[in-house]
Amino acid sequence: MPEFLDYFQFVLAPQMLNGLSLGVAVILMALGLTIIFGLLDVINMAHGEFYAIGAFLALSVGALGFDFWVMLAVVPLMMVPIGWLTEQVLIQRVFHSRERHILTLLLTFGFGMVLEDVLKLVYGPNTQKPPTPIGGGTEILGIFLPNYRLFLIVFGAALILAVWLVVFRSRLGAMVRAAAWDKDMASSLGVPVRLVYSGTFAFGVALAGLSGVLLAPIYSVFPTMGRDFILMAFTVVIVGGMGSIQGAVVAGVLLTQVQAISSLYISPVWSDPLVFGIMVMVLMVRPQGLFGKLGNA
Amino acid sequence: MTKKTSALAAALLLTSAGTALAADPIRIGVVTPLSGTYAPIGQQVRWGLELAAKQVNDKGGIAGRPVELLFEDEEANPAVAVQKAEKLFQVAKVDFLTGTVNSGSTLAVGQVAERNDRLLATTVSFADSITTDKCSPNVFRVNARAGQQSAALAEWLNKEKPKSKVFFLGPDYEMGRSTVAAFKQAATDKGASDAGEVFAPLDSKDYTQYFGQLRASRPAVIYTSVAGNDTVRLLTQLEEYGLLRNLTVVGASGTVTSQNIGAIGKAAEGFVTGVGYSPEIGTPENKAFVDAFRAAYKTDPDLYGADSFGLIHFYKAAVEKAGTTATAALRDAMRGIQWQTPQGTKTMRGGDHQAVQEMYAVQVTDGKFRIVGTVPGEAAIGQDLCTKF
Amino acid sequence: MRDVMLSGRLATRGGGAVRNAVHLLALVFLLLAIAFGVIAWAAGDTFYLRLATEALIFAGLAMSVDILLGYTGLLSLGQALYFGLGAYTSAVVLRDIGPSFWLAMGMTLVLATLAGTLGGFIANRVKGVYFALITFGLAQVVAKVVYNTRELGASDGLIGVPEITIPLGLFTVEAANPAAFFLFVLAFVLLLYAGIAYLMDTPFGRTLTAIRANDRRVPFLGSNPLVYRMLAYVLAANVAALTGALYPMLRGFVSPELMFFHTSGNAVITVIVGGVGTLIGPILGSVLLTALRSVVGTWTEHHLIVIGVLFMLSVILLPKGLIGAIRPWLQHRLTGSETPR
Repeated sequence: MPEFLDYFQFVLAPQMLNGLSLGVAVILMALGLTIIFGLLDVINMAHGEFYAIGAFLALSVGALGFDFWVMLAVVPLMMVPIGWLTEQVLIQRVFHSRERHILTLLLTFGFGMVLEDVLKLVYGPNTQKPPTPIGGGTEILGIFLPNYRLFLIVFGAALILAVWLVVFRSRLGAMVRAAAWDKDMASSLGVPVRLVYSGTFAFGVALAGLSGVLLAPIYSVFPTMGRDFILMAFTVVIVGGMGSIQGAVVAGVLLTQVQAISSLYISPVWSDPLVFGIMVMVLMVRPQGLFGKLGNA
Repeated sequence: MTKKTSALAAALLLTSAGTALAADPIRIGVVTPLSGTYAPIGQQVRWGLELAAKQVNDKGGIAGRPVELLFEDEEANPAVAVQKAEKLFQVAKVDFLTGTVNSGSTLAVGQVAERNDRLLATTVSFADSITTDKCSPNVFRVNARAGQQSAALAEWLNKEKPKSKVFFLGPDYEMGRSTVAAFKQAATDKGASDAGEVFAPLDSKDYTQYFGQLRASRPAVIYTSVAGNDTVRLLTQLEEYGLLRNLTVVGASGTVTSQNIGAIGKAAEGFVTGVGYSPEIGTPENKAFVDAFRAAYKTDPDLYGADSFGLIHFYKAAVEKAGTTATAALRDAMRGIQWQTPQGTKTMRGGDHQAVQEMYAVQVTDGKFRIVGTVPGEAAIGQDLCTKF
Repeated sequence: MRDVMLSGRLATRGGGAVRNAVHLLALVFLLLAIAFGVIAWAAGDTFYLRLATEALIFAGLAMSVDILLGYTGLLSLGQALYFGLGAYTSAVVLRDIGPSFWLAMGMTLVLATLAGTLGGFIANRVKGVYFALITFGLAQVVAKVVYNTRELGASDGLIGVPEITIPLGLFTVEAANPAAFFLFVLAFVLLLYAGIAYLMDTPFGRTLTAIRANDRRVPFLGSNPLVYRMLAYVLAANVAALTGALYPMLRGFVSPELMFFHTSGNAVITVIVGGVGTLIGPILGSVLLTALRSVVGTWTEHHLIVIGVLFMLSVILLPKGLIGAIRPWLQHRLTGSETPR
């Protein structure tokens, strides 16, 4: 028994907590994606680049001499107009087309490509590593974890809860859900649907930017950083159910735990195909994912 | 179509203008990572080559012809390296190619060199296969390969930490697998035990998911052959997770060098490697080289800078011996040639195109690369395993 | 040359000026490409001939995307899976079994049909945006598996594919000869084009188009839409794989990048910029984009900005792509100058 306890303290628990810190970050990304899809039916392929923009803006804000806490507050605010403009200038162009799904997917894919290259142009191609805002580590019940990862778990969980409260418990959230359920009905009840659309898109983009700020100290900052991370976020959204907030949270935790625990027993490079394989299976058996779409649940 | 033909015409014009010049320069193509995780390595390659080219050109060039370097970004990606090498051979018509860092790139570009009937030398790639089972008549290596490095490191390990339990973490490609296999062989031959191995993709940002298997095996020593910015992340993350306590970190030559030690900080302290170069080598040749390098670039050279610097002298010696840059004659001249490098005299073994040189065990102490052991070149080189030529 | 006859035959069968315009473009393209090949050969060029050959090979991948998107209305974000499958099959056969062109192509055909059937079975369970996502996911799984499999060279890719001689009955083509291999690939891709164009004009092709327009009505016409979608999927897989199989013959090298999303995404861009549902559009698009990359690449590394903006403009302003934009004009010229049929 002490042998198992030792294995738990030294091997299993750190691995699972580490997976959880990654899971929280992935969920923040996935929330933006899934809310945008739930309301606008738009698969935002540029979401990974918005995440990268958030991280780079954090670098710029840091270069001006501000500390991490200022970045956390300022960068999401800077992301709002970017998201707003994207929705107004790009998404609206093709929003009323019969093939809206495909066209918005293509358009945001192209936009993401341009954004990535613009970042490369502005900041250069090389990786930059911001300093860790909270150094050191803490031992809890014999489990040692770096303080920043602990902060990420706690802060991320609080943010997820806050998003959930806004969507499901606030007047604003009620408008968003009403618009997602039936936009004509909502409109006739006085919900400013156009405003809700742009606002929701900007909110999703701000969340992506915020994940960028939070993850920059762990993953470093580089122009193609969105590519690796968006795959995982998409997987979470698909498994959880496109447009579902509960789904993103549940799938986010589940899949990152699968990754973390399987990495103990198989070569960790095989945990990616494993998780993508789960996604394909879910798409085959239950294309709508584990949970239903926003507004329907 | 018209755009393409005009681009073609422009390119043809360019090359014909090039050959019409009176003092015809020797063009050396350099396909090296200028961006990405290996950018710090590419930077040293570039500095070493440029410093040597400038010194050689100041003294009248190679056989009276100036050396011209043409750089292309390899991105540490074989597919990109192949395209850039084809462009250098076919459009820029370079005489010689060097600079490849990623071992997979060196192998793939070696094939391009064969098909274009030109020669190539790597100054960086470690994978044993380049001069053993996947050797090529058109590829030379002027730096030390994984097997040579392991000889010096395994001897140090046996002396300082005999019969240790060693865990191996390499980058998941040709070089990583080759260095891990070579060191595992050398270390277990001397009595160390194998605690397990994992391979992480090149340019991994987060090594923490690999720590689970590392913890589970409870090693006394970890051997790693990640390089460039990857080492910065691996070592700082190991430290953040408190895993460096009671753990000796050893690694491949390029894992910790002058170029990335600043970013790693105190997590690099105590690191030991088997390597063919240290700025601390006390010979007058090396002192002169280090001084010139510092004066030009405000930083110390590492093994890549030194070996790339030496490459220009290797090529110069061969061209002057052959009296031509033609491929067949130059290849014959390169085989068995001896040339001067910052490390002293190196010999190119004719049978497998692998340079023979003295090897060192080097330990990071107070941010300096202190030499803690030496193995003579002949003892480190191992057998000639190339059967292709 | 066969292409001209074919276009004549198709025109009389019913398409009239619309198809005539497209086939005229194919003919003009063929003539320009041959002219390019001859000029480049006379100039002793290697690099640009091989680049043009590569553009044609990727044109095959783009055509395969167009079969699905343009005729069946299904957006595949993972067509590089089959392109890469063909490239790896051909590389392994040529390297380890024997340097035979026909053996490599035969093996590719068999494996692509098997993989396409399996993939189609999975992907065709869903439609619309979910089809896009599942094809994306499938390609991602397979690409990761190849990336991790040492027997397939893992992340380094496979080198050592020999330079082959292609026997074509009356004469042979050396893959190492840039001009000869360029012309061979040109003929190969245009024959594929002609074959698919012909197929799309048969009842099979028209049923596909009907599915695209409204797949609930098709069962009433006595056809099972799923069977047709499967056939289209397997056909597209084979087109991608067979052109992919030419890649290692050109470069002597394959790498997992060939399967990545980057490759699939580029094919989609090519189809949208060139013209969806035209088949010749993807070919012209591929050549145009390769040329653009090469020209823009000489003065800046940032060609993605240019191509991305071009792509976005195509999505917004030219939903039918370049071909769609010039076709009405061409059609007008054709009907205006020729005697009415």
